[in-house]
Amino acid sequence: MTSLRKVWVVAERDIKMFLRYKFLLIMRAIWFVSQIALFGLIVNHMFQTDVQAAVGGSYFNYYAAGIIIAMLYSTTVFIGYDIYEEADHGVVEYLLSVPVSRKELVLGRSVGGGLRSFLYVGPMMLFILYLIGISNPLQLLVALLSLFLFAFGVAGFSITLAVSIKSSDRFDILMGVIDALIVRLSTTLYPIAYMPPYYKGVALINPLTFAADFFRWGAGLESAASVPPILAAFGIVAFSSIFTFLGIVLHERRLEGGGWR
Amino acid sequence: MAPIIRIVNLTKKFGDFTAVDHLNLEVEEGEILGILGPNGAGKTTTLLMLTTVIKPTEGTAYIGSYDVTKEPDKARTLVGMAFQEPKLLWVDSPWDILNWHAKVCGLTPDERRKRVRWVLEELELWNDRFKSVHAFSGGMRKRVEIAKILIQRPKIAIVDEPTAQVDVVGKHRIWNMLRDLRYEGSTILLATNELYEADALSDRVAIMHKGKLLVCDEPKKLKDSIPGGDVVEITLEKDASDKVLEELKEIPRVANVLAIKQNHLKIYLNQAEEVLPKITEFFMRMNVQVRSIRMSEPSLDDVFAHYTGLTIEEAQRE
Repeated sequence: MTSLRKVWVVAERDIKMFLRYKFLLIMRAIWFVSQIALFGLIVNHMFQTDVQAAVGGSYFNYYAAGIIIAMLYSTTVFIGYDIYEEADHGVVEYLLSVPVSRKELVLGRSVGGGLRSFLYVGPMMLFILYLIGISNPLQLLVALLSLFLFAFGVAGFSITLAVSIKSSDRFDILMGVIDALIVRLSTTLYPIAYMPPYYKGVALINPLTFAADFFRWGAGLESAASVPPILAAFGIVAFSSIFTFLGIVLHERRLEGGGWR
Repeated sequence: MAPIIRIVNLTKKFGDFTAVDHLNLEVEEGEILGILGPNGAGKTTTLLMLTTVIKPTEGTAYIGSYDVTKEPDKARTLVGMAFQEPKLLWVDSPWDILNWHAKVCGLTPDERRKRVRWVLEELELWNDRFKSVHAFSGGMRKRVEIAKILIQRPKIAIVDEPTAQVDVVGKHRIWNMLRDLRYEGSTILLATNELYEADALSDRVAIMHKGKLLVCDEPKKLKDSIPGGDVVEITLEKDASDKVLEELKEIPRVANVLAIKQNHLKIYLNQAEEVLPKITEFFMRMNVQVRSIRMSEPSLDDVFAHYTGLTIEEAQRE
């Protein structure tokens, strides 16, 4: 079996596993609908014309493109929770014993973790794109590919944290705090122009900013993007590479030594 | 022929606790090697190091020609393991678990379909193949775990207490399937604390206690090696004092006396037919009434007791 095939077999397992968490999938979908149909629409009515102009004409469109990235992020980090569930049931030991290399295992899990949330968020993303309208399909395709890369990086990030922190409670609390910071210190919900200067620096190197702005660029909302598309694409590639590498290294060091025990 | 597994000074420490202590052992291709010992003897830790799930603190093991510390990925291609505790998520079904396992082990779709069906039918899991393992009994979960190895048919099959929680009929079925696996070319490492299982299945038995290998040989040779080839079990009406036990050991041809309880003694001796009358006479003289006498062949428990001074049951409680 080729290395690529092994990566896919591992990824396939995570995708199938995700589809079995029906409760989670339904709840996340409800969360998404409420964010768009309640929060998005109401807040849109609150903003004056000058604010609408600063975000490319419609705050609702700006927000909808951003919230899909927040959704993609929060769905992808779920792979970390899977690792704790597996550790509780001893499945970590099993996965370490199967005939795939550690690199193939972590790559497969990152691909699976990213792809499954990408597939799950996909229909919602299409709905958002329908609302916004697509001006350049090729541009959109490039943006979608890089969003997959972003999801792949978030999966690596979640795996890295999950294998670094042995307690699932601590992981849960930490992910809550990171979620609050990483979403709010990015351009997913509001443009960088309205942020105080001391927040801007963080927002400009935040992977969620890269992903949200690149998606807006792909959806034809270029004027709303704070980061140039090339820089955003570079940021996404760097984020994915760093956390895939860290995931592989830490997975081997923390788990193989019997560290999950 | 070079051994298919060569364990060299294999050691694993968890903090100050030494789980496996400088283990040296060789396993020949095609044999079933039983690793016998009470819980905590270091059996599972040894197996986890051989499957590269955990890294040794010191020493190494060679799986085929691959060093588990240097070429773990290659070593894993030769090994398959059925764990002591079934490794299953509650949302899984046997069908999903086994199909994925077959896939990750590189079986073609055709082989996969045939083998998964065959094993599920043999282990009487076919009708429950789509049910969540959450609803399964301990024995059913154990059968799903053992099914992985039967589907994989690895060069080296490592099975950790394969029949724990399995009923008697199921035990025999699994034993037969393990024997078949060996005839098809697998070498089998069987960790167990069940004496009968080790005796019935193994070509050789390695006895471990407190992380150390005590002895390794064919079951018959191990039993023959105990000084005092006959075993007499005597139950007394009242507890025997230490003085009685000491004097009992002084009777010619009595090799050893093990007090399972103070009124239940296991006496290892030579030429039982000649010594037995002397023993009964001794108890009469000591005014201790004998309730029952039973002669038996030495078992692996006796071998374990010979090396540790404890029965496996006692060692388990320690």
